[in-house]
Amino acid sequence: MARPRLDARLPGIERTRQQVLSHPLARGISPDEVRDFLAKVPRNRFPRVAYGKRGTVPCIQPRGGFPTFEKQQRLTRQLSDAGADFIPLTVDSYTRHNQYDTATQLLRRSEEEGKDYLNGYPLVSHGHELSRELYTDIDKPISLRHGTPDARLLAEVAMASGIAEIEGGGICYCLPYSEGFPLDRCLLYWQYVDRVCAVNSTEEFPIHRESFGPLSATLVPPAIAVTIQIIEALLAAEQGVKSFAVSFGQTGSLIQDMATAKVLRELTGRYLAEFGFQDVRSYLVYHQWMGQFPHQIEKAAALIAGSGLVSSMISADKVVVKTVDEALGVPRAEINAEAVDTVRYMLRIFACAAPVTSPLIEQEAALIESESRSILGAIFDMSGDVFWESVFRAFQVGYLDVPFSPHADNANKLISMRDSNRSIRIAERGNVPISEQDARHEKQLLASSGSQADKNYRQLLGDINMMMV
Amino acid sequence: MRTQGGADPRLMQSEHNGRVVIGVIGDDIHVVGNRIMQLALEESGFQVFNLRTRNRPEQFCQAALETNAHAVFVSSLNGEGEYWCADFRKQFSDAGLGAVLLYVGGNIIVGKRPMDEVVALFKSYGFDRVYHQQPDIGVAIADLLEDLNHGQTKT
Repeated sequence: MARPRLDARLPGIERTRQQVLSHPLARGISPDEVRDFLAKVPRNRFPRVAYGKRGTVPCIQPRGGFPTFEKQQRLTRQLSDAGADFIPLTVDSYTRHNQYDTATQLLRRSEEEGKDYLNGYPLVSHGHELSRELYTDIDKPISLRHGTPDARLLAEVAMASGIAEIEGGGICYCLPYSEGFPLDRCLLYWQYVDRVCAVNSTEEFPIHRESFGPLSATLVPPAIAVTIQIIEALLAAEQGVKSFAVSFGQTGSLIQDMATAKVLRELTGRYLAEFGFQDVRSYLVYHQWMGQFPHQIEKAAALIAGSGLVSSMISADKVVVKTVDEALGVPRAEINAEAVDTVRYMLRIFACAAPVTSPLIEQEAALIESESRSILGAIFDMSGDVFWESVFRAFQVGYLDVPFSPHADNANKLISMRDSNRSIRIAERGNVPISEQDARHEKQLLASSGSQADKNYRQLLGDINMMMV
Repeated sequence: MRTQGGADPRLMQSEHNGRVVIGVIGDDIHVVGNRIMQLALEESGFQVFNLRTRNRPEQFCQAALETNAHAVFVSSLNGEGEYWCADFRKQFSDAGLGAVLLYVGGNIIVGKRPMDEVVALFKSYGFDRVYHQQPDIGVAIADLLEDLNHGQTKT
């Protein structure tokens, strides 16, 4: 059995860091200099400080990244002026796959031709010295958004640039983003990132980690998202991370969103405490609809405003917003600023001091909690020397199974679809160890709501693209 | 999980033994449409060989050869299709697979261009059917059944 343990910290981190930092693009980053630098950045750069000041309204964070320094700097200022509480730094996909040479070449071309050849900011190519300049006058947290299985160098450069929030994790940045990156290596590399975040933290101003709960953003049952979020919180806690946000993506069902938020918040706290990590502060982040977005601007704007309201009803600590450009590609800066403004408006006029609840939400929450506990219990009981090994095995045997993951190691045996309330139901559990009773309950909910458990491709496509109607 | 109950009646011709190779081209790993495509073709009675994500033209060619496929469905969501598809037909002809039907669909170019321009471009690459930003997979399947029944390709 390999449960999360207080003494599971990676040994010899200093030596491994030397190896990672010997890369020429690390440009001589010195761990001591980075610690000194982080001690001097404005206190409001740390998410714990920002979350502490949020009152009853969720913090707002857009996404955004451009290849060149000038464009990224302009975006940063525009988003900050528009009232974003967290400023994003979205990294391009070559850097995410460690193809730094290609990223650097395409950055040069973008600079020379004034056209964007990358879908984000190539942070490693720019380096930490220049990237610090992006944020000289920014008094808010910067959030690194990427999708990188091996983010060791990227995270080092990010923290050296003054970025105190690192999104990602060994599962959530592998299963949805990669077809063949070995999952066990990814888990180990993220243990490194977690450990370095902890090393760069002080008690008062910890480097904050956030997991990516939407996963494939395609019919992911809440219990699967909740389980993976809790696992990543525990893995980070093992390495000494003290500030961690769990997250999930808008499910498409209001009831399920509210139930998922409740279970995710409560269980994360309880499991952290159960394994001796009471000193870890956890936060809840809500992602606006991550699936196919409507092309019509009016509908896209309505969806953004509507899910802004949901983030308030679930008392999220932060909401990650979409833009009306979503269906078309990388959003323009001013469109991004507009989305921030829309959500800010919604949060102001529909302020909600406590999470909304109802008997229906409680029933849904009880089911999600029971399923999540069953899956986590089965994983804690698996063999392995350390917890991440059990997590790896859980994927090998299909205990964890993410619908529509492109990854070759994903079992793809769990089949999910929507019931007539649009809640995501587990039609076939595959090898995922939820109880007989819960599996039956899921099927009953599918059948009793008049929805059929046997859907053809058109109906399934409708379930996936439910916001396109 | 699949029943024939709700399927499009036009596609209910299970008497054929059509074999189709499908896959996503380039470094694209958008897998959702690919999975749905497999379900849809299987519901219409096709035997599907799914190469999944991240494929080069030669991999489609080899798979078509190995499976003696009647048709190849190439998809692209991130728009890399344009780059990879230029000599697609030539590779098939060189391998003696000139009679295999080639279909392409998805978001097959980067950026916005008039539909007829995109269709003409991919037809010039040798594709028999082009579905740019066509959300209904059923259209392609109905066309495939028609091409198999009336085209030069023997079933």
